[in-house]
Amino acid sequence: MNIFLYELKAYRKSTFIWTGALIVLVILFMSMFPSISKEINEFKKLLEGFPEGVRKALGIQVDTIGSLNGYYSYIFLYITLCGAIQAMNLGISISSKEIREKTADFLLTKPVTRTKILSSKILAALTSLLFTNIVYVIAAITVANAVKVENFSLYVFLLISLTLLFTQLIMFAVGIIIAVVFPKVKSVISLSLGVVFAFFLIGMVAAAEEATRYLSPFKYFDYSYIMNHEGYEWSFLLLGMFLIVLSLIGSFVIYNKKDIHTV
Amino acid sequence: MNVYIREMKAHRKSLIIWCIGMIALIGSGMGKFAGLSSSGQSMNQLMAQMPKSLQAFLGVGSLDMSTASGFYGVLFLYVVLLATIHATMIGATIISKEERDKTVEFLFVKPMPRKKIIGIKLLAALTQVGILSTITWAASLLIVGRYSNGESINSDIGVTMIGMLILQVLFLVIGTAIAASTKKPGKAATLATGVLLVTFILSFAIDLSEKIEGLKYLTPFKYFEAKNVIDAGLELIFVGISVVLIGVLAVSTFVLYDKRDLNV
Repeated sequence: MNIFLYELKAYRKSTFIWTGALIVLVILFMSMFPSISKEINEFKKLLEGFPEGVRKALGIQVDTIGSLNGYYSYIFLYITLCGAIQAMNLGISISSKEIREKTADFLLTKPVTRTKILSSKILAALTSLLFTNIVYVIAAITVANAVKVENFSLYVFLLISLTLLFTQLIMFAVGIIIAVVFPKVKSVISLSLGVVFAFFLIGMVAAAEEATRYLSPFKYFDYSYIMNHEGYEWSFLLLGMFLIVLSLIGSFVIYNKKDIHTV
Repeated sequence: MNVYIREMKAHRKSLIIWCIGMIALIGSGMGKFAGLSSSGQSMNQLMAQMPKSLQAFLGVGSLDMSTASGFYGVLFLYVVLLATIHATMIGATIISKEERDKTVEFLFVKPMPRKKIIGIKLLAALTQVGILSTITWAASLLIVGRYSNGESINSDIGVTMIGMLILQVLFLVIGTAIAASTKKPGKAATLATGVLLVTFILSFAIDLSEKIEGLKYLTPFKYFEAKNVIDAGLELIFVGISVVLIGVLAVSTFVLYDKRDLNV
């Protein structure tokens, strides 16, 4: 319990900053929605003069961006990017900071098992991720209601917003296993940014085909699928859970056996 | 000289990884072009009439997507993002890592003025940034050249690369200036990348709405956009702003670090 509270306290400030940043981001983007939806409606009229084929190719995209949920799903990419960095940072730093800051022998000589230490740390980090998500979702719904032009499906809006939590959990789990596998992580941010942007760029470049979507957690949730079917794609959801469980189990096994250098 | 060699060695592995990442990005990005180039002219006309916000979502802008260099222009944003992240991180860590790794008392008791050490470190960082942009340049020429069907691309790519190099140096000195001024050495890289992310998202927001067009002077990602640079070359005002910023930040790195209380 002490470890849990201590970790929670250590990450309090950064959790607040990240939560604040996410909220500012959603306000910034959503505040542009009314003017953009007007522009797009005018463009739709113009589109009617074009041949059938072109209209079909673009029409779906144009229609979705014009609606609030569609617009939200487009800007959501940037919000998940920030969220993913937060989660990856947390994941990498909780299991590597004792070694980096030379406090490992202080903590590990206490009469608690390593499993207990790692699980309290993970719980503390999960609490801070959950806090971020709850506050974010409340803020996002408030903002969406303030800027809406016409009614939108709150259920779909929530489904989209929840993918932030799932992506964060995957990134968090990947971060933990990276940190326990590496003997010493010198700089958390450079490692976490490297990994997150690698996934992000893979997602950007290789997203078109079904097969390559499995490579990047950013692409596990296809927003147009969510909007059309009001649900997630099970294969990707299961894969995500599988990844999380696998990396958590792996982390515990490796952390228990790991050689930890004293000062 | 020893400090220079030591710094180059210390960052060798990460530089190699960055270069591979860059080549992979350009390669896989241009691979997509092969599939897209068949969609033809009518698409271009339609794109031109789209509202600006919609263009931003589809990631096209006013570039001609049916030519290899136009498509490269779309990809260029991500190339710049990768290159500037590298530059920011190397700038921030090369200054702050001595304190972070507790080697600061070892280095700074050597008979060498602080200014000289910082100067050499900056030089090492610049060399690495230069290597990454040279590799990017070569990779772009080779890979885009394969898809270009004899269309001349060398000058288009050349001018975008000059823009990228200026941005890299700018973000490098942003990193060093932050590292020299912050009290906590461990936080330097975090802060510097925070600045980078904020400016990147701001540039996306400017794409969405014409109302905040005036903010474009605040975000370096707007200075040398491929769509402007390929048509009209580098804009003098932005080159000027960058040079002034680079000068001010570089000088402040030296001045601030000279007066710094080192954490031992």
